[in-house]
Amino acid sequence: MTPSLTMGHQESQNLDNINPLETRDEDFVERGENDALNDNNDQDEHSERSQSQQAIDESDSSEDEVAPRNTIGDVPLEWYKDEKHIGYDFAGRKITKKERRDKLDSFLASADDSKSWHKIYDEYNDEEVELTKEEIKHIRRLLKGKAPHAEFDPYAPYVDWFKWDDAKHPLSNAPEPKRRFIPSKWESKKVVEYVRAIRKGLIKFDQPKEEPRFYSLWGDDSSSADITKHLAYIPPPKPKLPGHEESYNPSLEYIPTQEEINSYQLMYEEDRPKFIPKRFTSFRSIPAYENAVKDSFERCLDLYLCPRVRKKRINIDPESLKPKLPNKKDLRPYPFACYLEYKGHQSAVLSISVEPSGQWIASGSKDGTVRIWEVESGRCLRVWEIGEAVQHVAWNPLPARPILAVSAGADVLILNTGFGNEEEQKEIKNLLHIGTPTSDDSDDMSSYLSWLQDEQHDCIRLRHYRTVSSVVWHRKGDYLSTLMPADILLAVLIHQLSKRLTQRLPFKLHGLPVSLAFHPTRSIFFVATKKNVRVYDMLKQKLIKKLETQLREVSSIAVHPAGDNVIVGSKEGKLRWFDMDLSSKPYQNLDCHRKDITNVAFHRSYPLFASCSDDDTAYVFHGMVYADLNENPRIVPLEILRGHTSSDGRGVLDCTFHPRQPWLFTAGADSTIKLYCH
Amino acid sequence: MAIDLHVFLVSIESDALNVVRHLTLTQLDMPITNFHLIEARRLLWEHPHIKGKKKEGNAARYVTRSQAIKILQVSLSDFRKLCIHKGVFPREPKKKVKGNHHTYYHLKDVMYILHDPLLEKHREIRAYKKKIKKAKAKKNDELAKLLISRAPSYKLDMVIRDRYPTFIDALRDLDDPLTMVHLFAMLPAIDRLKIEVKRIHNCRRLCHEWQAYISRTHKLRKVFVAVKGIYYQAEVDGQKITWLAPHARQQVLTDDIDFNVMLTFLEFYETLLGFVIFQLYHSINVKYPPILDPRLEALAADLYALSRYFDANYRTSVQELQFDGSSRLDQEQEESNIRLAQLQHQLPANEPGALMHLVQDASGEIEEDEATRDCKNLFRNKKFFLSREVPRESLLFVIPAFGGIVSWEGDGAPFSENDDSITHQIVDRPTQGHVYLSREYVQPQWVFDCVNARVILPTEPYMVGRDPPPHLSPFVDDEAEGYVPDYAKTIKQLQASVKSDVKPLPGMGNDDLDSSKILLAEGFINRTEAMEAAEKKRQMMLLEKQYHDELKRELQGVSSINKQNSENTESKEQSLPDVEPNPEDPSGLMMSRRKRGLAKAIEIGKQRKKDHVEKLKERKRNIEAAQKSEKKHKKTQLS
Repeated sequence: MTPSLTMGHQESQNLDNINPLETRDEDFVERGENDALNDNNDQDEHSERSQSQQAIDESDSSEDEVAPRNTIGDVPLEWYKDEKHIGYDFAGRKITKKERRDKLDSFLASADDSKSWHKIYDEYNDEEVELTKEEIKHIRRLLKGKAPHAEFDPYAPYVDWFKWDDAKHPLSNAPEPKRRFIPSKWESKKVVEYVRAIRKGLIKFDQPKEEPRFYSLWGDDSSSADITKHLAYIPPPKPKLPGHEESYNPSLEYIPTQEEINSYQLMYEEDRPKFIPKRFTSFRSIPAYENAVKDSFERCLDLYLCPRVRKKRINIDPESLKPKLPNKKDLRPYPFACYLEYKGHQSAVLSISVEPSGQWIASGSKDGTVRIWEVESGRCLRVWEIGEAVQHVAWNPLPARPILAVSAGADVLILNTGFGNEEEQKEIKNLLHIGTPTSDDSDDMSSYLSWLQDEQHDCIRLRHYRTVSSVVWHRKGDYLSTLMPADILLAVLIHQLSKRLTQRLPFKLHGLPVSLAFHPTRSIFFVATKKNVRVYDMLKQKLIKKLETQLREVSSIAVHPAGDNVIVGSKEGKLRWFDMDLSSKPYQNLDCHRKDITNVAFHRSYPLFASCSDDDTAYVFHGMVYADLNENPRIVPLEILRGHTSSDGRGVLDCTFHPRQPWLFTAGADSTIKLYCH
Repeated sequence: MAIDLHVFLVSIESDALNVVRHLTLTQLDMPITNFHLIEARRLLWEHPHIKGKKKEGNAARYVTRSQAIKILQVSLSDFRKLCIHKGVFPREPKKKVKGNHHTYYHLKDVMYILHDPLLEKHREIRAYKKKIKKAKAKKNDELAKLLISRAPSYKLDMVIRDRYPTFIDALRDLDDPLTMVHLFAMLPAIDRLKIEVKRIHNCRRLCHEWQAYISRTHKLRKVFVAVKGIYYQAEVDGQKITWLAPHARQQVLTDDIDFNVMLTFLEFYETLLGFVIFQLYHSINVKYPPILDPRLEALAADLYALSRYFDANYRTSVQELQFDGSSRLDQEQEESNIRLAQLQHQLPANEPGALMHLVQDASGEIEEDEATRDCKNLFRNKKFFLSREVPRESLLFVIPAFGGIVSWEGDGAPFSENDDSITHQIVDRPTQGHVYLSREYVQPQWVFDCVNARVILPTEPYMVGRDPPPHLSPFVDDEAEGYVPDYAKTIKQLQASVKSDVKPLPGMGNDDLDSSKILLAEGFINRTEAMEAAEKKRQMMLLEKQYHDELKRELQGVSSINKQNSENTESKEQSLPDVEPNPEDPSGLMMSRRKRGLAKAIEIGKQRKKDHVEKLKERKRNIEAAQKSEKKHKKTQLS
């Protein structure tokens, strides 16, 4: 059906009329007049109704009669989209399309035309149609979902056309069905259901009273606390409060430069700062924080997923961590300041030794010389040219026998220093004189070691077959022990000077020996291998004790003058104090040096001990051993002595205490010897 | 095999077989029994030869999460919910029996959940949901609707009471709730994420109610505008409560967030805040929930509406008190009346709230501490007007909290822009067109800086169009940090000068500070010069003081000088040996390894702090150098 909008009057049917708009306008005016007339005569409503009724009647009748201008019938209009005509009229002539107006024109026209709102473009007939008042009314009613005609009554009283008073025959002769007079089963079921629901309380008629959602939960006095029985509540840690840098307008110095920001990219992700300060010069320019929701979410996760542990906030003064030590002033005297330097050696001083009276000091150096200095003045008294690097020097502990044992290469020289009175000198000369080589006794020792007379220095030369690293005197001054670390079987030899005898150590050493020491009072001998220290009784010829150092490589050992305590220094810079009465495990660990400990030493009379190391330092400790066995030794670090400079990666190579004064001698790789005094 | 049934105090010492038999026979239909029964069966099956199970120690005290779920007989999601509501968190056992990758809960915590009626409620809800699902699956829409309308819900009242036995406890933990609620007040309602409009509105309401209370009772202490949002710190009942309100912008939502967790937290927080606010309102005799003026509410001026509500309620409560009638109150009333009369001519006539302010101030002053009084009087007799572009919410909260009166451009505002009594107009635009000469135009930062300094700062640096001075965090202890920004120093000086104004001291203490103040007024750039000047003056003052002291001492007599001399020599003697030994202290050697590590860590921390300060100083030096060179450059250009 074409969208033939019902037109008001018969006039509009006029086919000859090509321009229907004009006529309609006329018609509108006409009708307006008509209305006005009617107004005068009759009641407004009535007139309208009557008129519209009339119109309806007419339109009803005219609906079929009004033929569209176009005769193409009900075909898709697309077919004519590209044609110049829209169809054919009754005469079969083409109806040409009107000119299309462009949008602007049509808009302007519509803006000018006050009636444009009730004009409709009829595509079928290619013309604009103006809706009449009636039509608009119909449309409105349709839009509301009502019947288009106002007078149509959808609820008209029912008229039973099939019943009348004097009807002889019923329309249907069927008997009344049972359901008409029996109560409905389903209805009753439904009722029962409802009744049950009401009884159960599923259906309630009165709305439940709304209780106030919030009330005074804690009561008025907040002190009434129930003691909860469950575990202690650990309150969550509060988020960190923002600092200056988080401000929207921080001081300029809080903003990192572009280079710094770029450098953040090179950092590990966990080290990278999470927040980069930015500056906004005005309040209005602050944007939304992009991680606001995420931060909040992460906080939530922390709150319910992270194990909470009550941790003590460490707010300690680092001083309080240090153990309570006696005041250093009370432990005086001890060496702390460099007092003298002994200069003269050309190369690193490898070893020093103090004469038992404390007047002279001997030193052996890498340049192949042994020098004797006067302690008080620093004057070099004597020089021996040995020819080889001097590994070790040792004074004879007897004051009456001023001789010096020197190890250089594979030889051990026992030098006459020339001190002492004439009697002593005579005795010494006797002692150091070997008439004929006494290799007649066919000992197996002879192939490894020979006692020789050295003419150059007028002394005894003990020729070993391997390099000797150290020489140690027995306290009585007759025996001396040498150490050849390269050998295992004959590593430790003990020589008797008076009888010119050499003995092997009659024990099996487990591991390479590193250092030796005689017990200061008893005939006990200490041998330090790389891992352990073995203590032998020389009289009973047996192992007394094995001290477990727990070190990687022992470098030096020293025995306390009382004999029950031993300190051991190691190549990893650790110092161990053993109390042999207490246990074979270290009593005190002192991790003081950063490099190898080269030597350790006890003072003979003062409660002092020292360690020197390749890191150019020497440590002085207070180490008091009490006669009371119940009391443990008291160890207090006293001083770090610096002054030496390193050369070839070596620092301080040897240290010895003065036998009577609390002074410390150190020999350095920088070819100097230093004396530290109190 | 021995099992300790912690709950029922049934202790059975026998082998696993007997336990199984016993438990089956007793038929204690409780989850804990079930758990142990299952465990015992499993153990028996896995290791038929084992004889005993730990009765004590970590193995008995801690359970893994899956064990906990087994004990509670709930789903994981329900378990999470319960944990959040009950505040149960994993704990760290000393020895992790089941392995390192498990989370462990204390058995007592699990029992704590087990005994809560909330657990049963959750199970009920779960069963109920199944019913609804079933009804829907059977196309029984009527039933489904009925079921949905009668769905069970749970209340968190007793949980809150249980977790926070006293009101103070609740206040102590209020940081997170406030931050979360403020965040959600800014979020959009999204169906997809189950963020309902109702909850957003509720959050916003709670925020306003909280802010209204804090503002009215003048309990706000610090405000800090950060990039992340605005931090506020209030002090309620001696508890410092800090919260973060995001800036009023469209928030960014990312996909990697599980809103279920957040909403569960929010559920608890909303309830908690409701109760806390009720208690707080109750404590100042205001009814909760407040009834607001619908007109103002519609205009989104909730905070103002709330303050109006407060005013009304305060008045009634004050009147009631007066009716109770005691001479003391009468006296107060008289006092307040006198003050009212005194100040009436200063106050704008069209501000009814201001008069009421006076009345209630008089009545409430007794119980206030000093800080509150300080805060209350900071913006006293100042009238603020917020321009259109200024973010209204935070300023409407902050300014009344410090005793100011505030209005804004828009409907429902208490007074309009052309009010003559306005003293400060807050503007956040590059230029201000029309200017009233009677008022000062400042940027919003001025308000926050004043609040943090508790001093009215000079407004020059904050004028329209200028880059304001740096906004500093009030939460930082500059001395402890080791670095004091310049502006902090100037503020400190101003504070000192204000204090000395209040308590004038004899001598020349004031003028240097005044001079620095004047210099500061000249412009923010001249600040360093001002500081230098102040420094010089201070040194002069010190010298003078020393001189005075000496004079005094001379007056006292010669004997004292002698004494001093002897003291000096003594001190010399003491100091001499101190100098000699090495400053290095080797006593660190005697520390145990653990303590040494600790000392080292402390040392590292200190070093880090020092480095940070150094970095700041270096940056500052660079900036200053750059500025100087720029100045020089300009000068040369000019000449």
